[in-house]
Amino acid sequence: MKAMAVRPLLLFFFFAQVRLSFSGELSSMESIPDLQESMYMVVDGYPCVRLLNLSGKIGCSNPGREKVVASIRRFRNANDLTQLTAVLVSLDELQDLLHRSIHICFRISNDVSFHKNIVGVLVESGAEIRDKLKGFSPTQKFPQAEFAPYPSINYEWNSMGSGIMLKAYDFPVFLLSESSTSMLQEVADKNEKVMNGYTTSVAEFDLVMQTTKAGTHDSESCLKEQTCLPLGGYSVWSSLPPINMSLSYQSKPIILLVASMDSASFFRDKSLGADSPISGLLSLLAAVDALSRVDGWNDLNKQLVFLVLTGEAWGYLGSRRFLHELDMQSDGVSGLNSSLIEMVSSAVNDALDALKRAQDSLKSENIEVLSSNSSNPGIPPSSLMAFLKKNSLTSGIVLEDFDTAFTNKFYHSHLDDMANINSSAVVAAASLIARSLYILASDNNDMHSSVLGAINVNTSLVEELMGCLLSCKPGLSCEMVKNYIAPANVCPSHYVGVVIGEPSFKPYLGYVDDVSRFVWNFLADRTSTPKENASSSCSKDCTNEDEVCIRAEINGKGVCVISTTRYVPAYSTRLMFESGIWNVLPPNSSDSMGSVDPVWTESNWNTIGLRVYTIQNGAYDHFILIGGITVTILAYFMIALARSLITKALKRD
Amino acid sequence: MTVAAGIGYALIALGPSLSLFVAVISKKPFLILTVLSSTLLWLISLIVLSGIWRAFLPLKSTTWWPFALLIISSVGFQEGLRVLFWKVYKRLEDTLDAFADRVGKPRLFLTDKMQIALAGGLGHGVAHAVFFCLSLLTPAFGPATFYVDRCPQMPFFLISAIIALAFVTIHTFSMVIAFNGYAEGNTTDQYFVPVVHLVAGMVVKSAFARCFCLLSQKFSLLRILFLIVLKNCQLSPETALVVFVWLNVLCHACSF
Repeated sequence: MKAMAVRPLLLFFFFAQVRLSFSGELSSMESIPDLQESMYMVVDGYPCVRLLNLSGKIGCSNPGREKVVASIRRFRNANDLTQLTAVLVSLDELQDLLHRSIHICFRISNDVSFHKNIVGVLVESGAEIRDKLKGFSPTQKFPQAEFAPYPSINYEWNSMGSGIMLKAYDFPVFLLSESSTSMLQEVADKNEKVMNGYTTSVAEFDLVMQTTKAGTHDSESCLKEQTCLPLGGYSVWSSLPPINMSLSYQSKPIILLVASMDSASFFRDKSLGADSPISGLLSLLAAVDALSRVDGWNDLNKQLVFLVLTGEAWGYLGSRRFLHELDMQSDGVSGLNSSLIEMVSSAVNDALDALKRAQDSLKSENIEVLSSNSSNPGIPPSSLMAFLKKNSLTSGIVLEDFDTAFTNKFYHSHLDDMANINSSAVVAAASLIARSLYILASDNNDMHSSVLGAINVNTSLVEELMGCLLSCKPGLSCEMVKNYIAPANVCPSHYVGVVIGEPSFKPYLGYVDDVSRFVWNFLADRTSTPKENASSSCSKDCTNEDEVCIRAEINGKGVCVISTTRYVPAYSTRLMFESGIWNVLPPNSSDSMGSVDPVWTESNWNTIGLRVYTIQNGAYDHFILIGGITVTILAYFMIALARSLITKALKRD
Repeated sequence: MTVAAGIGYALIALGPSLSLFVAVISKKPFLILTVLSSTLLWLISLIVLSGIWRAFLPLKSTTWWPFALLIISSVGFQEGLRVLFWKVYKRLEDTLDAFADRVGKPRLFLTDKMQIALAGGLGHGVAHAVFFCLSLLTPAFGPATFYVDRCPQMPFFLISAIIALAFVTIHTFSMVIAFNGYAEGNTTDQYFVPVVHLVAGMVVKSAFARCFCLLSQKFSLLRILFLIVLKNCQLSPETALVVFVWLNVLCHACSF
């Protein structure tokens, strides 16, 4: 082999050409799973899920068993959609879009094609959206009108109601968090710019519902096939002073103070319900706290019972089941006799007088109690409707912050959050309630004003509870909540949830949601009477029938206290749990509310998720495959050619 | 990307080596054994290197010298191993020649020796491609693709497949040149191979700084390597020209 003079020249050629610019490495990735993670961006979003009733379904779901994959575009730019798209909408556009997709049959053909191509919806969120909207309420104009004890079901209590929550959609809808909103807006804008390129960013929706897969499209069939679970939870009642179980009968008349702790929303995990109903719950808790500091409850003529119901937003489940169990004289409501709940016809007037006296005693604080407008058809949608339907002679008052129609512009929506309520209003309501209850219970017309003046609501308690129950910071990991329970989540959600397992009065605490457990512990603590002996520590139940174990979930902090605080399951009176399956009972003539109950259930699902990633054109993928095959075949031919040339050259030599 | 694209990337990286295997290596069982043992040896060398450097990675450095150190040490280790490989081959060659003399068959021809060198080089190239490209390809079979910030024109997997292809070719022919250099005691050839390896490694490191520059440089190296090989084989000028033209076409087609 001859040495070639050109070789050193070639070497220099290399060095001249090469630029040794070292750049910081492209990735902080250390492994293939890291690469995989950076390719797929998981977006935190709140889904709208599939709910069913006896006549059909509502909510959203993927149309089949597969994930929905579609490129992301903004709704306002999506005038001519030729491919499957996931639209990014703001809240005001959402109502418009959903209304149009419901009325699809009545629209002209080009709209139909437009809507056929929208296969997923992403809803933006952000502070400026709330400011722009006058109001947003996805539920009806008269929520749960079928349960009203009066005939005017067309009265508009909720003027902002659009009813979009109660329709069925065959595509996934997700609400984005604020950080994801800005990220997806960038992605949509980038998609717009590179419209005919090889790549596009897509959203992958995983909202496959088991009822869609199994083909069960109403409550009865899905409960039988076990593809869904009924909505429900655990209500809590507590008595002040604690009921002495050893007495063979209880004789004191009962004043029942009722609040509700569940709300609803288009998006399942974002139902805060700050104004409706949590502000009521906060008032109740603050009033209990104020009253607990008063002595001498055993000497008063009447008994106070505090009842915190859940499931009220979905067919008054809590109140109906509570009344049913009272009729059945079940263990969980022993000590309460339904006949003891005030049926005296003068009770309403007494209550109004008490409220007036309480208002007067609070004169320094800008509080006013007014009777409702006579043009109202009756009581607004509330738990009292269930009591009235059971016994129309029940005396009751509904205390609200509105008169002829809801002032809450975001009723049953994800925007009904802490910014929608005022802590001083809650404190005022709580003070009013506490003093009125004391007046009613003592039945004493000449009470010294100093006695009333001593009943004061702790403002900082209200503010702390607001932070715990209505926001994510500190959320349920706040000190007050962590003092009583070990919460499963940090961000509170007041959706009623589903009944897991068999409903019972002593449920497995893992099946009871965080807010119910917190309310139980709080009420048990506040309504307890101090023990003469030292308190014994406990981890589950107490030996004495009159005692309950509070703070049981905190390691080593459980104590037995004398208190009557119980859980009452909340689920439809039309359902019965028997040998592991839920059965729908036929309507009963004695249960008028049950015959109009939709019997809400929620579909089961495997996972719910939302991912965003970039995909290439199908054509590009095939181009790569063909390129690979071509390279291989071309190489084969070149090698065959080279081999024949070399063989010829060797033969020549 | 999908399964089609994943297979496409795998073929881009290893297709020509597959063709070479089918066309040349598979005809002789001894060459298959050489490829397998060579692949094994070079895979072990890469694993040992990554094991040694694991303690220092990831290099979160903005200066260039840790990366230079990494490349220089790795290339140095591999080139040292190549010399060792040559020595083992030499002993094997002597054994085979002695055996041939004993049974009265002809000794190894020049073409046989070059084919063994080619098989060894192919093993080295395949080891590199498997280690640096195929192992990254699993996400390529999923629906998503990935673009690196510094090179937004082509997907990351395509870049990695093309680089792997280039390295397969470089390693395959480097072994031929190296063995030739060691056999003849030609110091230029002996030093040429490590230098090309080092340069290729440095260029890859700066790859994501300039996407196309890389690819054209890669193929320039390729082009020149082929020239060297062909000149060593003393082919006629016409055939050399044909091959040179083909290489140019390939190079320009790839750096679009």
